Amino acid sequence: MRDPRSPDLERFPELHSRWDRRTFIKGAAAGTALVAFGGALYRLAGDDLTRAARAETRTDGRPRLPPGQRVIRALRNMGGDEGPGDVRSFRLRVHGAVKTPFELDYAALLKLPQTEQASDVHCVTGWSRLGAQFKGVQVALLAEKAGVKGDVRHVIFEAAHGYTTNVPFAEATAPNVLATYRMDGKPFAIENGAPVRALVPDLYFWKSAKWLTGVRFVVRDEPGYWEVRGYHNHASPWTEERYG
Amino acid sequence: MTNAAASDPEGSLWIAVKRRWRGWLRAIHRDLGYLAVGLTLIYALSGLAINHIADWDPNFVSYTRERTIAPIPAEVPDPDAIAQARAALQVGAPRSTYRAGDEIHLEYDDKKLVVYGDSGKVIEQGRESRFFLRVANWLHYNRGKKAWTYVADTYALLLLYLAVSGIFMIKGKKGLRWRGALLLSLGAGVPLGYVVWSGGPSAANRAAVERAQARPPPAPTPDP
Repeated sequence: MRDPRSPDLERFPELHSRWDRRTFIKGAAAGTALVAFGGALYRLAGDDLTRAARAETRTDGRPRLPPGQRVIRALRNMGGDEGPGDVRSFRLRVHGAVKTPFELDYAALLKLPQTEQASDVHCVTGWSRLGAQFKGVQVALLAEKAGVKGDVRHVIFEAAHGYTTNVPFAEATAPNVLATYRMDGKPFAIENGAPVRALVPDLYFWKSAKWLTGVRFVVRDEPGYWEVRGYHNHASPWTEERYG
Repeated sequence: MTNAAASDPEGSLWIAVKRRWRGWLRAIHRDLGYLAVGLTLIYALSGLAINHIADWDPNFVSYTRERTIAPIPAEVPDPDAIAQARAALQVGAPRSTYRAGDEIHLEYDDKKLVVYGDSGKVIEQGRESRFFLRVANWLHYNRGKKAWTYVADTYALLLLYLAVSGIFMIKGKKGLRWRGALLLSLGAGVPLGYVVWSGGPSAANRAAVERAQARPPPAPTPDP
């Protein structure tokens, strides 16, 4: 039986195309609304971690979760030009304004004094991963081993395919800054920077260069890949230094 | 044809252009539209995929599996340790192997296995490319560079033509006199409205500075 609200299309066939379009637009609008509502509900329901983190404070007095961030459970793959990812070809060059530049392979890196720490990381796109356990070698130790010259002010993390990112020397040599190869007891997946990536937990995560190939100490600042593409030169998550 | 037009070939051409330009516009729009379909699918689908990169991996489906085998002590020589790991995991010959610290790495083309000799914990990591999207994303990001830059530039020009010619394709009430003008204003209003509403590119920084200034300074940290 015909719906009394719909036109008699047998009697008025010229209305067919208009009625079909109307039905389509209604269906599309309803579908879009449903997807948007479902997405919003999913976001709200899954945000207990974010609410809990917002209530916490770090030992330095800053909130544990920087403004504009939400907590997720696993690192996301944010793209980038991947390096080879294997341990066999890995080399880390420590160089620049240093007295004794050197190069490490993976085995040599593992022979250096190791640091294990829990750190929070914050991506500029708005997600944060809290309390992950990282293992690696302090950049401060690499600086000490290389004999950094007195006028060095910045550290350039170098990575596969010419990617670079800059960090002030004092922040790059903080005790929680590592060349890290293990997270939560597992090696990094290739998309997350295997085999070794930088870890600079107190700056947005793009400063933690994936597929690390070098640590270069410099006197003058050299903004890196994202920094010359509109992102902030310093990148503190607590003052939301997202864009330059 | 008028007498004036007949005696003036340039005039007749002008009249022909005036009469038929919309037809030519439509014909060129149609043909360039066909040409643009392939690249539009690539850029649009890849754009959707990349836009949500913070929520999913648009290129790969990755996995990590964990299992445990008997520990392999550091004293076991490398070849024996690798053979022992392979036997316990029942895996074929790897592409390459590596041993450093307590780690034994077995690398295959599509996965890697890392055995932590001390504990016997084994982590297997692998991934598979997403059909079509990985290639589309690669093109979208212009990772190949070189010739693709010219293709992308040409496509951008083509899109500009399609957009501008689309405005003038139909005359009358369904064209710029009413419906077309309304939809055109609506479409142009979306980015304009968003910039006004969001405050534009510098607004995020200004807001962050204001928030930072409004917060009390952090408690002083003790000297190391």
